[in-house]
Formats: sequence, C-alpha cells, structure tokens
Amino acid sequence: MDHPHYPWRPMVKRTPLRWPEGARVALCVIVNLEHMEWRPEEGSYWRREMSGGFGNRPFPDYTRKTHREYGHRVGIFRVLDALEAVGIRPTIAMDLMTAQNYPFLVEHCLGRGAEIIAHGVSVTQMITSEMKEAEEREYIARCIEGMREATGATPRGWLGPEFGESARTPGLLAEAGVEYVCDWTNDEQPYAMTTPSGSLISLPICLDLDDVNALWERRMDVERYAKLVRESLDRLLEDGETSGRLLVLNLRPWLVGQPFRIGFLEDTLEHVTAHEGVWTATGSEIVEWYREAAV
Amino acid sequence: MSLPPHRVDYSPIIDRPTLKWPGNARVAVWVAPNIEHYEYLPVYDGLRNPWPRVPYPDVQQYSHRDYGNRVGFWRMLEVLDKHGIKCGVSLNMAVLEHYPEIAEAMVERDWDFMSHGIYNTQYIETYTEEQEREFYRDSIATLRRHTGKQLRGMLGPAMSNSARTPDLMAEAGLIYHADWMHDDQPVPIRVKTGRMISVPYSIEVNDSALFGNHFEGEYFAKICKAQFDRLYREGEESARSMCIALHPHQIGQPHRIKYLDEMLGYVMSHEGVWQATADEIAEYYMANYYDGMMALLEGRG
Repeated sequence: MDHPHYPWRPMVKRTPLRWPEGARVALCVIVNLEHMEWRPEEGSYWRREMSGGFGNRPFPDYTRKTHREYGHRVGIFRVLDALEAVGIRPTIAMDLMTAQNYPFLVEHCLGRGAEIIAHGVSVTQMITSEMKEAEEREYIARCIEGMREATGATPRGWLGPEFGESARTPGLLAEAGVEYVCDWTNDEQPYAMTTPSGSLISLPICLDLDDVNALWERRMDVERYAKLVRESLDRLLEDGETSGRLLVLNLRPWLVGQPFRIGFLEDTLEHVTAHEGVWTATGSEIVEWYREAAV
Repeated sequence: MSLPPHRVDYSPIIDRPTLKWPGNARVAVWVAPNIEHYEYLPVYDGLRNPWPRVPYPDVQQYSHRDYGNRVGFWRMLEVLDKHGIKCGVSLNMAVLEHYPEIAEAMVERDWDFMSHGIYNTQYIETYTEEQEREFYRDSIATLRRHTGKQLRGMLGPAMSNSARTPDLMAEAGLIYHADWMHDDQPVPIRVKTGRMISVPYSIEVNDSALFGNHFEGEYFAKICKAQFDRLYREGEESARSMCIALHPHQIGQPHRIKYLDEMLGYVMSHEGVWQATADEIAEYYMANYYDGMMALLEGRG
C-alpha cells in the first residue's frame, strides 16, 4: 500500500470469516448525532459544503444549522423506534458537543441499549492533516475523556467528523485506547490496522449506502435508496455463504428521520432483518467477534 | 443549557406537553407559495451573489422566475382554489407594488402573508442593525397599505438572516420566524423583548428544492403524501404542523401542476386536517401554548 495503515489483503486471499450462529452478514447501524456550531472556533477546520440546508450560505445560516438540529429534536426518536422495531441495537456516533449539551439524548440512547462511540468534538471541528500531532493527540484525548464523563463509559469506537483523519490518526486512536475506527470505507469485513501503538480494527462503513452520500450528495429518490439497501443485503447474503460479510449503514437523524423518509427506512429494515442469516450487532460486538475469530 | 445562539432551548419532541389544534386536528397543513420578485439588475452585497451564472443581467434565470408571475401563478391558483386552500404566502413585498393583479387575487382570497423580504435578491446578512429595523418598518407599512393586514412573521428573503433577526422582528411586533427547520411543531424562540415563536417552513417538502435537482412531479407528490401520512399518524397523540412550500415558476409548469392537484386532493380528503396559514398557527400557539412551554423550559433550566 502507499501508506502504513494496513497490508494489502484482497477478499479472495482471506481465511473465510464465520459470524455467530452461521450468520452470513453482520449488520451494524451507526446513527450520527453531530452538532454544527453557531460560530466555529477560530482555526478549526470544517467543510463549508457539508450537507444540510442550502449548502454554503453566509453566517448565520439558520437554515443548515436548524435543518441538522432537527435530528436532535425530532428525527432521532423516529430512527431509534425504527431500529427497535426490528431488534437492532444502535451504535450512536455522538460528538462531544452533543454529549455535553444534550444529556437527555445521552440518557435516552443508553436507555435504548445503544452503544455510544466517539465522533470528534463537533462537525465543525474536524481532524485533518492541518492539525499538528500534539493538537490531534489532545483532541482525541479530550473527546475520549469527555465522552467517558458524559456517558459513563469509555467509548470503544471512533468515527471522525466528516470521516476526517490525518495520516497519523489510526496510530493516535490506538494510542488513546480506541479499539475500532469507522472512517475507512474500503471493505465488507472488518480488518486489523497496523499502527505503531497497538491494536486497532477498522469497521468499514458502506459509503454508497451512507444516507448523506446517497440521499443528499447524490440526491437519490428515497424509495430507490430503500431498494438499494435491500439489493445490497441480498447480494451480501449470497456472498456471505463462503465468507461472512459486513454491512455498516451510516444514518443521520436529520436526514433519514424526516417524516417522508422514515417509512422507507422502516420498510427496508424490516426486509433486511427478516432474512435468516443476518446478525444485527453493535460495532463493539462485531469487533469482539472478529478479534476472537480472526486468524 | 442551550448552545449558542441561545435562542431555542432543547426540547425533544417526545418530552413536551401534548399539543392540540383547533377541532382536535392532527396536522396543521400550511401551504406556502413563495410569491417573489428577483431583480433584473440587483446590487451585489459582496457576500452572496444573486445571479452567479453570468454578469448581470442573467436573463435566463430572471425570466424563468418572471414566468412564475406571468403564467405559473395563475395555473397554481386554479388548483389552490379547487381545493379551497387558504395560503400563508411567503411574500416579497415588492410584488404588491409591481404586480397589482397578483396582489388583488391574493387579497380577494383573504390569504395571509408573511414577509419574505422586499426582493428575493436583497439579503439581510450585510444589513446594519438600523437598516434591518428600517427593513421591518418598510415591510409592515407596505403590507398594511396594500392588504390592510398586520405583518406577523417572516421567512428571511431567500432565507437570509442576521444574528439579530429574531430580536429585531420581535421589537417590530412580529410574532413568528419561519427560518428554523428544526421541528414538526412550533416552539418558542428567546428574544430580548417581546415574544417570538418558530413556525417551521420546509426546505425538503419544497418544489424548488426538488425541481432544482433531478426530481419531478411524481416524486413531489409522493414525498408530500409520505410526509403527511407520518405526521398524521403521529398527530393523533400530539398535533404536528406541515409546511408545503411552493414556487409558481416551478409547480406552475404545465407538466407539474397535476401533481399538486393530486397531492392536495389526497391531503384534504382526510378528517382531522387543520388547513391553516402560518399566521393562524402562530397566533393559536402564542395564545394557547407559549406561556406553558416557556414555564416548562425555564423549569428545566
């Protein structure tokens, strides 16, 4: 590879992976709760074109901020209900500003049996290679410690805001004790990353099925999106006969939790969980199994 | 507990007093046509370019919107009349001066009007505090002069705002701000003086957002129905509001109008729909729920 984070290991050259009880597909749903700051801190990096509202509009841009806030106030409860209805325990990628300022949501998510993973400080404070190493180390430590204080547990997983990493991030995450990272969108199985500071598992999100990618950036018809998820799962179930596959769906409550979208998500989740051979699990459960099973 | 700008306290929709509309309706359906004028030769404020495609004028884009007033509005009006819709218009005030027949048609039907600024090509972001105050004085006077109505609310022109906007709106006597896309119910907005609430508009259930992309009429009708169905279901327990945003140059096209007809037919066939304007929703909420909600939020600290 042109970087040190993992060795080249194509699907066809791997020892077959077996999921619990002969499942062919492990399904994990990551729901992001992210805060867009009123005035991002001086020097912080944020994507001006990030999803929501009308894209990049001048300050104060109530449109995009409040469009995203819809997720925290309304959308999240629809998404959690939809997951609960089919017995999926959610994995919540919650940023630090949400955890610290929305204690109701922390408590509510934990009460629903969710696993909460770290998701940076805010969507308006990304990790990028413009960060100095010491700054990035401090940023990660602040998130882990802050999440521990706010949720009562040390987060085991990490998803960077807007999938942001520097070239040092996997190493720094491992050094901070993070067990798995979801920033890399390159596989249908978990895999071990190579870091100078210990073990880190990559739990790849499927970018094509990521709701922002599909519904926002590619402006897909929500019905077509629902079909896409079903088609994806059907094929993974076939391929999972020989070696278990992974599907990590990444959802935002402000987007997929809108009244006109949630029904399509519900129908799709019903379809995908009705199959024999689908193991629905949190990020940590999948990573634990993988570590035990991996050769 | 709320984060900057400390305007709206966090209140999850599952943890609020039950909301009931008049007649115990489940959903307040607010149809919001944007009746607009975009200037032929706007003045670029240095921050946001109204016509970024070419040096001014942008005849293609200007006239595309002008079509809405010349043709599309009248086609849209037929369908709205057929379903007896009382609109809560999002109005560029200059329309009242430039297009008397449109003004007359709207006044005749006793529609309500929220300000959508003076022109859709003049934005609030760069206004000084005094300019913004003058902007409200002008909007209030213009609406009163042409319609006899008191201005109650605003959706910022082209959804532009300043950080001061809710305070200055309240100071001018307005009671609702539609620029907050954060909820399916009205909620209070904190202001320095007076009282203000959010009556959410929609940028998703919005013809312009869809037809500006690759979506077409069937999809518009489909998502409106899906939006309505979900809110109608949830509204049995605690009422919801639904905004359907329209633009005559988009929905008034010959190939799209039948989908508006079909969709409104569907929505209006339901019992338990309060077809209301934003003014009516705001006034009802202000009279019946604002105090209770504020007391609750204060209590939560």
